[in-house]
Amino acid sequence: MGRWLAFLILALAASGCAPVRPWERDALARPDMAWDPDPLGAQLGDHIHFSKEASLGGGPGGGGGCGCN
Amino acid sequence: MRRGRAHRAAMRRARQRRRHRRRLARRPSALVRALTASALALPGLAFPAAADSPPTQAQSDYHYSRYSEDAVESKKVAAGSERNRYEIDIHQFRFETGLSDRVGFGMDITHEAMSGATPWYVTPGPRGEPVQVMTAATIDEARTDALLTGDYYLDRGKVTLTGGVSSENDYLAFNAGLGGERQFNDKNTTLSAGVAASFDRITPEDTNKYPTRPKEENKQSYDVYLAASQVLGPATIVQTSVKYQLATGFLSDPYKLAYVAGAPETDERPDLRNQVSWLTRFRHHFRAAKASLHFDYMFYADDWKMYSHTFTLAWYQTLFDRLQLVPSVRYYSQSQAEFYEPYYLVPRSDGYRSSDYRLSPYGAYEYGIKAEFPFELWSLNWALSAAYERYVSGADLALEKVDVENPGLVSYNLFTVGVTGRF
Repeated sequence: MGRWLAFLILALAASGCAPVRPWERDALARPDMAWDPDPLGAQLGDHIHFSKEASLGGGPGGGGGCGCN
Repeated sequence: MRRGRAHRAAMRRARQRRRHRRRLARRPSALVRALTASALALPGLAFPAAADSPPTQAQSDYHYSRYSEDAVESKKVAAGSERNRYEIDIHQFRFETGLSDRVGFGMDITHEAMSGATPWYVTPGPRGEPVQVMTAATIDEARTDALLTGDYYLDRGKVTLTGGVSSENDYLAFNAGLGGERQFNDKNTTLSAGVAASFDRITPEDTNKYPTRPKEENKQSYDVYLAASQVLGPATIVQTSVKYQLATGFLSDPYKLAYVAGAPETDERPDLRNQVSWLTRFRHHFRAAKASLHFDYMFYADDWKMYSHTFTLAWYQTLFDRLQLVPSVRYYSQSQAEFYEPYYLVPRSDGYRSSDYRLSPYGAYEYGIKAEFPFELWSLNWALSAAYERYVSGADLALEKVDVENPGLVSYNLFTVGVTGRF
């Protein structure tokens, strides 16, 4: 766990040295590079996991409550 | 020797001219800018991953899903108890559009129709092993959920407002949220933050038949969310985020019982729960392979002494410049709640008790495949999709050794078909 955290911090710190210019970001603009390319699928998956598992899902928003857990 | 004010102003203007010349030197030619804009306009690329302006086209999505839980194994269920579990038909509808060059609007509506039996309580079997007693099969349960989203786009960020309602036969919840994001470092870095709240009212059914069930209870939850994302390269981006939730009020399950010293008692959980999730997401595009890799890891912990790990991996493969196939896998492992037991030989001193399998220790793996096919019809852009997922849970799949598996652990199949249209 500690190694993962160190890797993330180093990656974020190192990346600040070479910003990517707007005309270089065509790959980042692809729909399949979105955090959730399928919003409805992600919404349903989060709802099922929230109902059937004990964990609080990550990601923004509290969403609606339900009687499912 | 002190310099005069006029000299300092002249030096400042000279620095600004040098900075402007360097900026012009880095700008691409008009040809490169035109080619980049063309790439973003190709089918499938019209909606950027990190939009910094409202959608230029309205988009509508509809999904139908069929969720089917596996029947409980006969050796795990009490004699004469129902074995078939939940079957749910799910309809999801989404609409989003730009209302102006600064304002975006979105609407999500979900309707579910549920039938089947659910775990009720756990009793000791002939050899002391936990055995599941199921409820009778329900025939008619439904849930409708509606959420509205408004985005106001600034020059280097946006503000988002959400509000929604969720309604079931025995449940009513209202929720609201406010969030924002700001971009830095030539839009290579994005910081986000948000707050949300939900107010829930529970009115359990059949309280005449089951008098220990409460007639009406309330629950509130409050969320705070912080996130930071960073572009690591022309085809790589990472995001890490933390969400905290305070849940308070009636947090027990009014439909479940716990077997305590030979008799079933009501499910009793603390009326406060502090929860934290830490999620990190990584995205990388492989140009030569025309594919993108998604990797997510989430760690969760709460003050009921539960913690969990979730790993998700997905591969987005484009074929023939049109069809997209997405295989994915997910692994999940959770510990147990401090007060959880399959059944209790003696009552706990704090009065808490629950045999809900969702508070038990177990692990689960999930695998899936999704296909999406975009096409043009009547001068509009459409996409058809189909997906299948399989979820399997078990105590032997947990990261830590589990001595006693809860007999109510669930496995399920999920089938989904969908259509998307852009107008």
